[in-house]
Amino acid sequence: MLQTAFNGLVTGIIIALPALAITLLFGVLKFPNFAVGSMMTVAAYMVYALNVQLGWPLLPATAVVAVAFGFICIALDYVTFRPLRDRGGITLMVASLGLGFVLENVARFAYGNAARSFAIELARPFRFFDIRMNREQMTAMVVATIAMALMYVLLTRMPVGRAMRAVADNPSLALVRGIDSASIIRWTWFITGVLLAVGGVLIGMDRALEPPMGTSYVIAVFSAAILGGLGSPLGAFVGALLIGLVSELATLVIPPNYRIGIPLCVIALVLIFRPQGIFGQMYIRR
Amino acid sequence: MKGFSRRRILKTIGAAVAAPIGAPFLNLAHAQGSTIPIGVALPMTGNAGAYGPDMGEAAKRTVEMINKAGGILGGRKLELIVEDSESSASVAANLSQKFINVHRCQSLVGYWGTPEGMSSRPIAIQNKVVLMVSSAANAITEGDTEGYVWRFQMKATDWGIVISRATEQRLGFKSVGVMGLQNAFVLPIMRVFEERMRALGRTVVDSLVYNPEQPSYRAEVQRVFGKKPEAVYCFGLLPDFVSIMREVYRGGFDSKVVALSIAADSEGKFVNAVGADVAEGIRHFQPMPDVSAPGYKRFLKLMGAPADRVYLFPPNTHDQIAIAALAMEKAKSPMAVDWSKQIIPVGNGPGEAVDDLVGALEMVRGGRNVNFQGAGSTCDFTPNGDQIGRGMGQWIIKGGKSVFVEYAKP
Amino acid sequence: MSTVVCFSAILALALNFQWGLGGMVNFGLAGFYALGAYSCALLMLKGGFNTFFAALGAMGIVALVCGLVALVTLRVTEEDYFAIVTLGVGEMLRLVALNEDWLTKGALGLTGIPRPLGELIPPPVYLYFMLALSVVLVAACVWVLGRLSRSPFGRVVRAVREDDVVAATLGKNVLWARVRIFAIGGALIGLAGSLHAFYFQYIDPTQFSTIVIAYAFMAVIAGGRGAHVGAVAGAAAVMLLLEGSRFAKELVPGLESDQLAAVRIIIIGIGLIMLLIYRPHGFMREYRLQVPLKHSPGQARPQPPKEAPT
Repeated sequence: MLQTAFNGLVTGIIIALPALAITLLFGVLKFPNFAVGSMMTVAAYMVYALNVQLGWPLLPATAVVAVAFGFICIALDYVTFRPLRDRGGITLMVASLGLGFVLENVARFAYGNAARSFAIELARPFRFFDIRMNREQMTAMVVATIAMALMYVLLTRMPVGRAMRAVADNPSLALVRGIDSASIIRWTWFITGVLLAVGGVLIGMDRALEPPMGTSYVIAVFSAAILGGLGSPLGAFVGALLIGLVSELATLVIPPNYRIGIPLCVIALVLIFRPQGIFGQMYIRR
Repeated sequence: MKGFSRRRILKTIGAAVAAPIGAPFLNLAHAQGSTIPIGVALPMTGNAGAYGPDMGEAAKRTVEMINKAGGILGGRKLELIVEDSESSASVAANLSQKFINVHRCQSLVGYWGTPEGMSSRPIAIQNKVVLMVSSAANAITEGDTEGYVWRFQMKATDWGIVISRATEQRLGFKSVGVMGLQNAFVLPIMRVFEERMRALGRTVVDSLVYNPEQPSYRAEVQRVFGKKPEAVYCFGLLPDFVSIMREVYRGGFDSKVVALSIAADSEGKFVNAVGADVAEGIRHFQPMPDVSAPGYKRFLKLMGAPADRVYLFPPNTHDQIAIAALAMEKAKSPMAVDWSKQIIPVGNGPGEAVDDLVGALEMVRGGRNVNFQGAGSTCDFTPNGDQIGRGMGQWIIKGGKSVFVEYAKP
Repeated sequence: MSTVVCFSAILALALNFQWGLGGMVNFGLAGFYALGAYSCALLMLKGGFNTFFAALGAMGIVALVCGLVALVTLRVTEEDYFAIVTLGVGEMLRLVALNEDWLTKGALGLTGIPRPLGELIPPPVYLYFMLALSVVLVAACVWVLGRLSRSPFGRVVRAVREDDVVAATLGKNVLWARVRIFAIGGALIGLAGSLHAFYFQYIDPTQFSTIVIAYAFMAVIAGGRGAHVGAVAGAAAVMLLLEGSRFAKELVPGLESDQLAAVRIIIIGIGLIMLLIYRPHGFMREYRLQVPLKHSPGQARPQPPKEAPT
């Protein structure tokens, strides 16, 4: 049971990064980005290209791709979402759905359907009391925690972060205060790109790399962000851990093939009864 | 916005929609007395996309061979219409309708996957056209097929029987765990395997079914492997099997693993994906032709392949066309309603056992009885369309390569 | 093939009604479509109903489920939150179809589904019958929806879409209207699902994948959100694009089939995005009541009705 809980924490950590990206995007840009899964897939394949095809070690490969993907996300936004900026959440959502299809199939086009793996050593686990932990899980936890810490510093201490929060909170007021929303949007997408690239690599380490890999996480990621409160970074982190824990622990009582039902139910329940989630704030959009 | 008047748009769309309706009346060049069309639906894309091309090549060469020797039914040539079934049920159903209504085919061959076979079965029976599949799910030949559905593959439940017998006789595991993918042909295999294990007095510590494309299989692996059976039988497909095996290795579980070759080998893709260490010691099973049979050797020559090449599925496609041609020749008619009754006579006999297709056609023309021995199997059928006498190969992965262990019949 | 266009047309009509007219986005379309097909099939195979009543039953079941969803989510007024909830419901439905083998035979699917008048009409002619039936049904749906839109109920629906707070203050029962909107759309989806089951006579979970929603959105947007005939034309155009791109295979050598399949979906995704950017109102307009605005020089001119977001 302890092992299951640990597994749940690991699953939660992995979805924390994309959940954070979703929540930032929603806060600043006010729409749910359904392309999040495919974005992670593409970034993971880019790392695969550097790591397996060019032989780079995983860490520098990830770092390089993270920065590159940040710029790619800015470009994607420019082409896809910027022309639709004032059209409202649904349009942007449908556009993100289309973008998701495109990205997943770009990955499929380039790499086909077969499953692949990063060139890292798979190692046997080591035991800590009664719990089995393996190297990837440790790496994932360390990396994700560092990322979260960095995000926290960014959002609270640095001017860019504060500006982002201001725009998320009250765009017109932020404008009045002289915050350049275009630049903030670019920063938001850049950070999103970095988060999703790292998230994609963590997922790729956890399981096989294949075109649908990111999309299979979309429901869980959204569930985490919604549970924690869309727009609240701390909420994304907490929500992700909770979703991971609950999903894994639930397999002790319900059949494992219904595991995906948990995040689905969470989404429905939260949106119906407490749409602001745990940490989010009620906001009226009109 | 101007220029797109409502009328114009509706008219164009109406015309485009009407066009396919008129197509059957065009009767594309299949008038009486010319070629005999055969519809071939193969997966060139999608999950099974790796297998389509070779099967298509086998079909092509078989037909070329027959046509070069003078065709059938008084010199009529066979014509193949090959289409991609995209490993999809609805696409296959559309293709089947097209083959029957537009191209006037009386035989539909190929049909590797279970969804394609299942969706095309009612279409074939209703239109009194022969459907020859290469898929395993029992349901395809269940019930009354009126003699129109024929399986050129080992039935799913037979897979379970062979694997459990191999376990009993060779592998000797006392306790096993079973995991299966939620998939039409895996589930019957699992069920039969479990039943027989229990009947043989072995312990089945756990058995579960998992969905495709799940984000993680950690919980499933934890549950089954955590109970520490001697071996776990994992019946799945390549992508989920890769994730599962990585999980097993990283979780430090020791149970031996047995799988199906489409997951554990898949033309080497599995070892590429997980690395030799993870793959070490995994055994896998797959129905395969009897490579020592003369029919298979002849097929290798037809394909221009080296003597040690193992083709899993293309020999079935060759056999499908061969049996169709022989049955048509024997019935002296291209209409399925006539020659479907001749499939068992030419496949099972009684008659002279012959593996040379051209020679067999000659004999049938001359009024002699044959018992055709095909490339993929001896082409002996049960009355409801299943093939018997097929065996499975067993391999074990050592040092990153699959090493053949033995060939076993049901 | 044209028959399949008709099913997509009905789905597009449903989406158009629920979203275009009612402002309720149904991202779970694929799941409800599956619900319709499976309900119809099971009513016939396990319940012994004949095709007519099975189809009616399926329409009823989907309408009921949609109505329930609308009822339960009454507090979820944000468009995109509602969309996410419907996505969740749709996915749950598909999960159940895949896993509950005792009911749905799971991945194996249901086969041998009877079709309307299947015994009476010989197979070669049947396809034409099916096509004719489908076209007639599409036309019927367009007619019914058209009448509904022009009726007082239709005006309530549009009022709720534009601003449900205002609608509520005017005394319209917003909740009941939303439930009815979604349920009517649901009935249409159930009809499309039943037709799908009749046509293919074999259904399995893989036939109802998420790409269905992309096609439906493209159809509705291309045809003009709110325009019924437009939705049908849009569906036909989208299907044409799809089938046409299959032939692209012959035209583009040097690409493997897997890659071509990927390219087709990329084209669809890009098409969807471009439609949203460049032709958000589609090629046809929604029916709008033309009311002349009267104002005296001293008065401020009344604001025009709020532009529909897409």
